[in-house]
Amino acid sequence: MRIEDTTILITDDSILARKQLKDIISTLGTPVFVEATDGQSAIDKYKEVHPDLVFLDIVMPKKDGNDAIRDIMEFDPEATIIIASSVGTQSQLKNALEAGAKDFIQKPLDKEQVLAVVKRFLEGR
Amino acid sequence: MYTQFFGNYLLANGYVTRDQLFSAMRQEADQHMKLGTLAIHAGYMNAAQVDDVVIHQTHQDNRFGELAIQLGYLTEAQVEELLKQQTPAFLSLGQVLLDEGVLTNTDFEQIIQDYRSKNGMEDEESLIERRKNIQQLFENFFSSTDAALSEKGHMFIELLFNDFIRFIGSDYTPLSVEEVTEASIACCVKQEIHGDYAINTYISMDLDTAIAFATRYVHEQFHSYDEYVQASLEDFLNLQNGLFIVNVSNTSNTELTLGAPEHITVSPIQFSGRTLHIPVLYTFGTIDFYMECVSIKE
Repeated sequence: MRIEDTTILITDDSILARKQLKDIISTLGTPVFVEATDGQSAIDKYKEVHPDLVFLDIVMPKKDGNDAIRDIMEFDPEATIIIASSVGTQSQLKNALEAGAKDFIQKPLDKEQVLAVVKRFLEGR
Repeated sequence: MYTQFFGNYLLANGYVTRDQLFSAMRQEADQHMKLGTLAIHAGYMNAAQVDDVVIHQTHQDNRFGELAIQLGYLTEAQVEELLKQQTPAFLSLGQVLLDEGVLTNTDFEQIIQDYRSKNGMEDEESLIERRKNIQQLFENFFSSTDAALSEKGHMFIELLFNDFIRFIGSDYTPLSVEEVTEASIACCVKQEIHGDYAINTYISMDLDTAIAFATRYVHEQFHSYDEYVQASLEDFLNLQNGLFIVNVSNTSNTELTLGAPEHITVSPIQFSGRTLHIPVLYTFGTIDFYMECVSIKE
């Protein structure tokens, strides 16, 4: 899959984290970015635009990342969800993977790590 | 690496005032180290010998190193070594204070000796030694306050100091910790930590400091207080707390969780639990960090 043909949903309550992710991913090309600021709006946006790839924070207002993963996976079991969170404890990682996340990136965001995850996704499609 | 602790040491022991320290820290970056200061630090010369060379310099137009060799205080090899060696960060701060006349060479010699013996610093520092030194410096820092800290509280603040170095810069001095019941705020973000170590954390600073803080944190120039500046305070606090609960999870098998960061706009904040105020003095302004105890089971 080409990055230009990809729609990526970035969910984080921090405008800064969303910008950092977009800046890093944009070094590969220009996908369509869709943004959400909490778990509930991530689910709503997912249903609306059917993105190819989802980046999701865990600690967010309204509905946290783990609940959002479950709801998205229930709607679309094929969803590709990557967690990008500062809360990289063993149990958080376990919960996220159990809920259906494909990968877990510990913040602060490492450019190479983000790019590797996106490339893996693009090559797998 | 140690500047902040040396600055704190000077302040805590009354060698400098807060204003003198702040002024010196602002100038530190462009500081040109003098050979006499390096020689005192290395233990090759004492203050009286340095003063003697300086007096000779007023009569003879010679370099400090040449005169020190002539007078038998230094060898050529020592001068070469001093000129080549890397200067520890805290020495630059010392140099500014010497140049400003805040400290004399005699004061400086005594301070350096005390600082080294109390903090156990080595000349040759491997990474492991450096870590041990940070620990030691940190313990000394806290032994100078009355604020009793739990093991996790200790871990939290040690991580905070490391995160300041890692994400904002090492040019800071943590001032003494104190217990408070309220705080006046300007730009302030709060985040709750839940679980067996339940505390509320706050990071607060004035508008200009927040802009400078964000500029360093994001590595982009900000000129006004906008949503990105606001988000960098949230992001830093979230990162600090996220790393803390990772550390807690790794070392004690205790799982803590975080609430979402929130902006606090009502000033002053009235704290309900025991609250520690940790002021951190940067060259661009002061950052006030607060830890409010909610429920701690240890």
